[in-house]
Amino acid sequence: MSTPTIHEQGEQKAPDAPPPRQADTGPEQHAAPSALQRLAGSPKALLVLLTVLVVVVSAAVSGSGAWPQAWTVDIRTPLNDLDNWLVDNRETSPIFLYFLLHISNFAETSVDAIISLFDSMGWMGVTVVGTLIAWASGGADLSRRALRTGGTALGVFIACGVLNMWQATMETLALMTAAVFGSALLGLLLGLAAGLSDRFERMLRPVFDTMQVMPAFAYLLPLLLMFNIGVPSALIATVIYAAPPMARLTSLGLRSADPAALEASASLGSTPWQRLWTARFPLARKQMMLGLNQAIMMCLSMVVLASLIGSEGLGDEIYQALGSLDIGTALTAGIAVVLIAVLLDRTTSAAGERLDATVNVGTTRLMARVRLAVWGMTAVLLGVFAAIGSSLGEREWPDAWTVDITRQLQSGVDFFTDHLGTGVPVLGGTVTWAHGFTDYLLNPMRTGLLTTPWWALALLVGVVGWLVGTWRAALTGVVCLALIGMMGLWETSMDTLSQVIGGLVLTMVVGLVFGILTARVERVERILRPVLDTMQTMPQFVYLIPVIALVGLSRSAGIIAAVIYAAPAVIRITSQGLRYVDPAAMEASRSLGATSKQQLLQVQLPLARKALLVGVNQGVVLVLSMVVIAGLIGGGALGYEVVQGLSKGDLSQGLPAGIGIVCLGIMLDRMSQPAGQRPRE
Amino acid sequence: MSETHESAGIAENAKNAEDKAAAKSAGSAKSAPVISVRNLWKVFGPKSHRIPGDPELKDLSAAELTKRTGCTAAVRDVSFDVQNGEVFVVMGLSGSGKSTLVRCLTRLIEPTAGTLEIDSHDVLGMDKARLRELRRKRAAMVFQNFGLLPHRTVIDNIAYGLEIQGMAKAERRAKAAEMAEKVGLAGLGQRRPVELSGGQQQRVGLARALAVDPEVLLFDEPFSALDPLIRRDMQEEVIRLHREEGRTMVFITHDLSEALRLGDRIALMRDGEIVQCGTPEEIVATPADDYVRDFVRDVPREQVISVRRAMRPADKSEANGGAELSPDTLVSDAIETMARGGENLRVVDDGRTIGVIDYACLLNVVAGLDEDGEGEPDKGKEVAAV
Repeated sequence: MSTPTIHEQGEQKAPDAPPPRQADTGPEQHAAPSALQRLAGSPKALLVLLTVLVVVVSAAVSGSGAWPQAWTVDIRTPLNDLDNWLVDNRETSPIFLYFLLHISNFAETSVDAIISLFDSMGWMGVTVVGTLIAWASGGADLSRRALRTGGTALGVFIACGVLNMWQATMETLALMTAAVFGSALLGLLLGLAAGLSDRFERMLRPVFDTMQVMPAFAYLLPLLLMFNIGVPSALIATVIYAAPPMARLTSLGLRSADPAALEASASLGSTPWQRLWTARFPLARKQMMLGLNQAIMMCLSMVVLASLIGSEGLGDEIYQALGSLDIGTALTAGIAVVLIAVLLDRTTSAAGERLDATVNVGTTRLMARVRLAVWGMTAVLLGVFAAIGSSLGEREWPDAWTVDITRQLQSGVDFFTDHLGTGVPVLGGTVTWAHGFTDYLLNPMRTGLLTTPWWALALLVGVVGWLVGTWRAALTGVVCLALIGMMGLWETSMDTLSQVIGGLVLTMVVGLVFGILTARVERVERILRPVLDTMQTMPQFVYLIPVIALVGLSRSAGIIAAVIYAAPAVIRITSQGLRYVDPAAMEASRSLGATSKQQLLQVQLPLARKALLVGVNQGVVLVLSMVVIAGLIGGGALGYEVVQGLSKGDLSQGLPAGIGIVCLGIMLDRMSQPAGQRPRE
Repeated sequence: MSETHESAGIAENAKNAEDKAAAKSAGSAKSAPVISVRNLWKVFGPKSHRIPGDPELKDLSAAELTKRTGCTAAVRDVSFDVQNGEVFVVMGLSGSGKSTLVRCLTRLIEPTAGTLEIDSHDVLGMDKARLRELRRKRAAMVFQNFGLLPHRTVIDNIAYGLEIQGMAKAERRAKAAEMAEKVGLAGLGQRRPVELSGGQQQRVGLARALAVDPEVLLFDEPFSALDPLIRRDMQEEVIRLHREEGRTMVFITHDLSEALRLGDRIALMRDGEIVQCGTPEEIVATPADDYVRDFVRDVPREQVISVRRAMRPADKSEANGGAELSPDTLVSDAIETMARGGENLRVVDDGRTIGVIDYACLLNVVAGLDEDGEGEPDKGKEVAAV
């Protein structure tokens, strides 16, 4: 504790340090070494300063520093060849006939089966069974939790019907059901392997680490390549995207099971299987439930996004509406997606809470029986409705009961754009701000990045990576940067990079301010927590809609969306980091009479440094994943290339950009990842 | 180590323990030890198996060994026997290897070298199935951190060992309820472990171990995590159980007073080795070296040492006068008797006066001046050699 305090004291005295004209006051000079002296004492700071100096000077001198043309490799031609080969052989090649086609058929059939099940149940059946399942997950009793969960489900189903989104909702739910099942199963198996075998854990961890850094966007193209446009691509992309958190948390749960309990089990002579079933799995189930919750939320995010590669449902509604700038419809579908997100999150977290509760408070046998009965009844009802549901009324939500709010939403958005977008006296308006942001921050930054010679940038990446993490991180970062250059994506990537940096700066400002506020002011925390909870569960795609309404199609729109998307996580990490600072250190500082500000600056922030770095890391990853999706709404750069590649089915355009995004992601992750630790879910 | 001395010492102690056991549960005493450990080693680290066999490496000190090989010897060349019905306490500071030692007994930690027999069965040679059988039926363990399953009720936690053995649900629950009652948990069967206090949780751990009706109970610092008062309660509980059932127990602790209270014999460990093994009285009265002496310095000696060790030879004139004491009477009791009567006491064994206790004898014990000079020096040396 003493080190940061002393350091901070030095910092504080720095302003008092004698400027040249006061240089004659000798003793003070000894007490407070000048900034330059202190810099010389810290080789790391000196190194950073030198590197920055090199970067700035070289940028100013050379004027243009893009990756040399001669060092690029043509990857478009082979990709085109591959694409052609795929088109020609999709029907005949044994890889497709005997492997991929089976997977894709299976995926298609299962989703179709679920859709037709929903269909034959009718809207009434789906609503009743869905509500029952939610209620049963909440505990199937008259407690507040159970009633709230059931009520939420009922409300969500009715709202989706009333919004005239019933059919799309059912399609999304069907895809979700299949995807959640698939990713939970895959995640469970991988997690089991990683949890029980050290070798598997060592093998899988870097894979998961990389997958966690990869923006959702990057998953789409390779799957399009293998499965063509359609539901199978969407389903499989979702399963792959959402499996890691389940696997990670399962493995974590299995590994962090109380060693004393496991040893006790072994000491009583249990076989390994008995140990797994009676001790390890039950001890891990809280973590596994958390994993399932995360997997479900990621599934939803991807299912909606996968409308770009042919998933139907709410995502498709949004995608189509965005394409024709029909903000009203997009907003309506967006509301439905948010409602579903709330429903799924509430239901799974209620089940998770109940898991906690059963550990805390004894459950009576009667209640256990009631619960079993409710689940049984739900299953029976499912069957009954599937058989006769469609004769009980219309399959879809009755038209008479729908309310079209798209027009109102549209006019609201129009009003907003007309009156607040531009021309507000003095303030300027949202669109004006966005333009200002683009003109005065983004453009200069992009120009700056483009004029910096590539080697200077690589040097900077290397130095930062080495100082923050390890030499290996530095090497990975530089290699990623070189790959980007070699693929001929230097300029587009610098564009994306400038957006990421802009977004990250804003995110960190927002995150720090609100993080400090939530950590220190109880009321802010109480108000913000539910908001953050909801925001963290919402699919990425949804964030784009209100942003277009606010600032129109532009790069700033994407960045604003990215900031809104990334800020909750950063706020949360910052506030947790600040709040969990060693209480003894806080107490010591208070007992020495430190003011609130001194406590924050001298104790909390320095001690929470690790958490803040984790926040930066998360911020980078989240901002990047959103910035590239903003390619859909005028973000340009790499994201746009991917969108173009997807919509034209042009592999040679989309795939390099997708790889570029991944490279950028890994590079940024390594540059912001403190050595020796990984952010945990 | 000198085998002869050791076995002599053990035989002597075994006789004591056997007498006790026989007194408690007549007929259950056996001549062969329940647990027999010879030259047991547990070395952690790279290529650890070569160290016990290497004449040069095996005599290195702990620090030297780590420096030379990167290995840590948690248990070094340990030998002892545990007799039927005996409470055998292994005591040492943290890091002395005592917890590793007790885990080696059922191979929860695999020993590196040595021999280990339980009921004359070679434990180290057992295959997995037989080892499980040993853990299920012969030896059950109570852990420092309880090791309860938080998702199960108290009853199901107690029944866990029986469940592992494959006993039917109704039967094992009935047995578990019986055990819950025995350890004072009646009425708490449907609670979950988190709803219990630390002491109650350890009662669950104890009941779980008792439920499988093991021949040997192994305790790994079971009460260190508990408050002093509750710890005392639990110690009483163990003493009561031992008095009622006469079960053989191996008890690990770092608490000297706990060791003295519970142990029929105590093995004192340091750096993986047993420095002294003997009855509480032997350890306190004749410490084997300065380490042990330091360890037992603050022990109230009058409560551990018997008059047999404190008495001086009787003069002819003293052979008949004064109150009589049996040789096993504690000095503290003798002090009380003398304070009441005010005259010298006779120590009488089989109707024969074998010694006399006067003020000086008693004060010597209290002041710690009796060591080596008094009592039975030969026996003290013998123990020290173990």
